[in-house]
Amino acid sequence: MNVFKKEMKANIKSLLIWCCAQVFIIFAGMTKYQGFADSQVDMNALFAAFPKEIMIIFGMGSVDISKVAGFYSVFFLYFMLLAAVHAVMFGAVVVSKEERDHCADFIYTRPVRRFQVISPKLLAGVINILIFNMVTFGASVFFISQHNHGDGLVDKVSLTMLALFILQLFFLALGALFGAVLKNTKMATSTAAGLVMGFFILSVAVDLYDKIAFLKILTPFKYFEGAALMINDHLSFTSAVILLIVSFVFFALTFVAFNRRDLST
Amino acid sequence: MNVIEINQLTKFYGKHRGIENVTFSVEEGEIFGFIGPNGAGKSTTIRALLSLIHPTSGSATIFGKDCIKYGSEIRRDIGYLPSEVFYYEHMKVREVLNYSASFYDNVNYSRIQSLAEIMDLDLNKRIDDLSYGNKKKVGIIQGLLHEPKLIILDEPTGGLDPLMQQKFFDLIREENEKGATILFSSHILSEVQKLCGRVAIIKDGTIVRVENIRDMQKHNYKKFTLEYKGVIDVHHFNLEGVTNLTLDKNTLHFLFKGDINRIVERLQGQSLLNMLVEEPSLEEIFMHYYQKED
Repeated sequence: MNVFKKEMKANIKSLLIWCCAQVFIIFAGMTKYQGFADSQVDMNALFAAFPKEIMIIFGMGSVDISKVAGFYSVFFLYFMLLAAVHAVMFGAVVVSKEERDHCADFIYTRPVRRFQVISPKLLAGVINILIFNMVTFGASVFFISQHNHGDGLVDKVSLTMLALFILQLFFLALGALFGAVLKNTKMATSTAAGLVMGFFILSVAVDLYDKIAFLKILTPFKYFEGAALMINDHLSFTSAVILLIVSFVFFALTFVAFNRRDLST
Repeated sequence: MNVIEINQLTKFYGKHRGIENVTFSVEEGEIFGFIGPNGAGKSTTIRALLSLIHPTSGSATIFGKDCIKYGSEIRRDIGYLPSEVFYYEHMKVREVLNYSASFYDNVNYSRIQSLAEIMDLDLNKRIDDLSYGNKKKVGIIQGLLHEPKLIILDEPTGGLDPLMQQKFFDLIREENEKGATILFSSHILSEVQKLCGRVAIIKDGTIVRVENIRDMQKHNYKKFTLEYKGVIDVHHFNLEGVTNLTLDKNTLHFLFKGDINRIVERLQGQSLLNMLVEEPSLEEIFMHYYQKED
């Protein structure tokens, strides 16, 4: 409990900043929607004039963005990116920070097993990503309702947030594993950041080139589609199960690897 | 009963040697010194005892229990002061100490206050505002606050001024009199000399010797200083048992181990101005151990 409390306290500031950034993105995005809607321009016609590649990169490949649900579904890509970076960094840092700060000798010489330190840290991680998720949910419903005659599309947004949470969990586990396996925090965070970037580039690439569509299984960003969630109310059950299993395996490996680790001073 | 038993403990970091076949034991209630130059493997041994690192081979037990297997259980009764003291920088001293205490059952929190008073440490300061010496004090208090049965000190006095060192030694002696066993690692021999009963000497990752500190000083070595009137024939003392032979103008210094009469024989007929036979300091014995193999 003491470790959990300490981690929550240590991360509250950064969580607040992440949440503010997220709220701002949603606010700014939905304001833009209002701008489009007010201008009476046919948005689909307007964007059709853009090259397809550009539209895909910005996540607007195949949705009707003149409807609020369609417009909002485009955000999912950015949510995924932001949430992934947040979760993966949290995981990588929380597991390895004592070694980075040279406090490992302090905490791991207490009468506790290593998993008793790592578990509350990861629990703090889960709570942090959950709060991030809830704030995203709240802000989404609020700003959507502002531009949708008071209807916040609670059901659709809930489903989207569920998908987002599964992804966050996956990235938290991935980050934690890097933190436990790699030499130090710096290597863990930079590897994690690189991988998130790689996942993202791959997710764009598979949209651009049909020939490599089979590679989309390799990038978690392709496991859920914003449009499917927001428009068709469909959350891929297979994707959810795969991601949850992989997350579980990563968490388990984190414990095993960390237990065997020689802690540096 | 042995509180610590280390048996053929070896740690390699890849190909790089940490320690090799370290074997010694520490009896209950003693203050045991662990000396060697920096990089000899003192910290590696200690960190293996605390299961911060996993030995490549060999084993170690504390309170009769395997260090790795029963690590968390054993550590309930260990107080450890690391050589490099770092704590959560953004926290206050009091917060760090309370956090430390929160890991133990039945901690007497008033002990934090009383230890801080003895060590003259301000509990309301932030860790990152502390000097190195003051951080060391935080380390001492967190190591002692749960009244451990075994206290492991890794280079504890660095950064403490002489007055504080004295207070610290008194504190350690007090804990020892109350029954705590102490493993005291240091490269400063005079402090080991002051506190310890027995000592293990480590060099290049291996134990050179485990010895009673008094035996080591009294029975083994004499330090000779001979001041001559005239020319000195150095070869005159070129006999077995003589080491660290140095010539300084007309003064000859050496350490001797063996039958003292053999030196007396050699001195007959010599014209001396002065002669000193002393107990060598631990430093000198220590130097000798290390020069033997070079």
